[in-house]
Amino acid sequence: MWLELIFCFMSTVAFGIIFNIPLRLVWWGGVIGMLTWFIYGTLPDLGFSQVNAAAVAAFTAAFTAHRLAKYKKVPVTTFMIPGIIPLVPGGRAYESMLAFVEENYVNGLGLSVETLLQAGAIAGGIGFALSLFTVRKGAGQRYETDR
Amino acid sequence: MGIPEKTMSLCLTSGKLLLRYGAETYRVEETMYRMAKAAGMHNINTFVTLTGIFLSFRTEEEQDLMQMIRVRERYQDLSKVTAVNQVSREFTHSILSIEEAVDKLADIKKASMNYPVWLINLASGIGGAAFSYLIGDSFIDIFPAFIGGLITTLTLVLYQKFLNVKFFAEFLAAVSGVLAAVGLETGGLVQNMDQVVIGTLIPLVPGVPLTNSVRDLMSGDLMAGVARGAEAAVTSLSIAAGTVVSLSVLYF
Repeated sequence: MWLELIFCFMSTVAFGIIFNIPLRLVWWGGVIGMLTWFIYGTLPDLGFSQVNAAAVAAFTAAFTAHRLAKYKKVPVTTFMIPGIIPLVPGGRAYESMLAFVEENYVNGLGLSVETLLQAGAIAGGIGFALSLFTVRKGAGQRYETDR
Repeated sequence: MGIPEKTMSLCLTSGKLLLRYGAETYRVEETMYRMAKAAGMHNINTFVTLTGIFLSFRTEEEQDLMQMIRVRERYQDLSKVTAVNQVSREFTHSILSIEEAVDKLADIKKASMNYPVWLINLASGIGGAAFSYLIGDSFIDIFPAFIGGLITTLTLVLYQKFLNVKFFAEFLAAVSGVLAAVGLETGGLVQNMDQVVIGTLIPLVPGVPLTNSVRDLMSGDLMAGVARGAEAAVTSLSIAAGTVVSLSVLYF
């Protein structure tokens, strides 16, 4: 696990450089990436499903990114994008594509549904953290009750 | 130029820079709103899509101003977003005057990338190698994944310079990167092909549009959110198509 965390830190910092994040902030992105990977790697051992773990990890990453961005007074994207990168379901996407290439459509559909579910879990995690941080600022209401 | 015209051009320049270098839609709208408000304008309306910015406000002399600006290019350079954010923060806290803010924005616009291209290439190699280890847990495949990731970004920069077509450049970069991986596989240097290909392709993942799309959709900017999602989807499809083309060499 330690080795994985170190590799995760390296890859997240490298992605920070790819996205041109300022040097003084890149390291924080690496720390968030490590945290994300730790949760994503530990929760399946405790009996959670992969998608569930991805949602929790994405939520943690987004929440930490929001807090850190408030504290450092920089745009939250700076921390959010590298923090989410370790969760990208690249392996599943690749396997589903390979299945389609080999004309193994049923398998491919199953794998691509898994990919989509994981992507949806990440989006849900980000969205939930965002909603927590926009409480009372407002982002779309259903009924006009304040009149 | 009077104060209203200066304010208009300041707001539009900062909005254009933010949108071009990968800020979320709501950040662009809010930055322009706050800057116009700090300059003493009222009745401010902003409308930002992925490819254009509209801004209108009423001056202190009750005169209405409205302009729109088209944003054609989009890059990923978050350090410029941070810099513009800092300028707008200082302007709204009246640390900077309008002239100083305009000068600072011009400097940001002219500045080159935060990191040199070779460092970005190297980072993409290291990122690909480290990510491939996370996926597959095999030390032998770190080296081919490094080569693959390096070649992907190297060729992406090259193709972008000569072709100037984003999606085609991404397609060709995926083709080249995976071709390199296939070459290493036939050379017998690869143990786990899946791991290497994923490490090769991960630098091409459209991280900025994907994350921003989710954020835009959640904060109610539906048009920009869907547009960004479409951008990410087209990029992913061109990467997938490029990978399939190269892998079919392996299965030929």
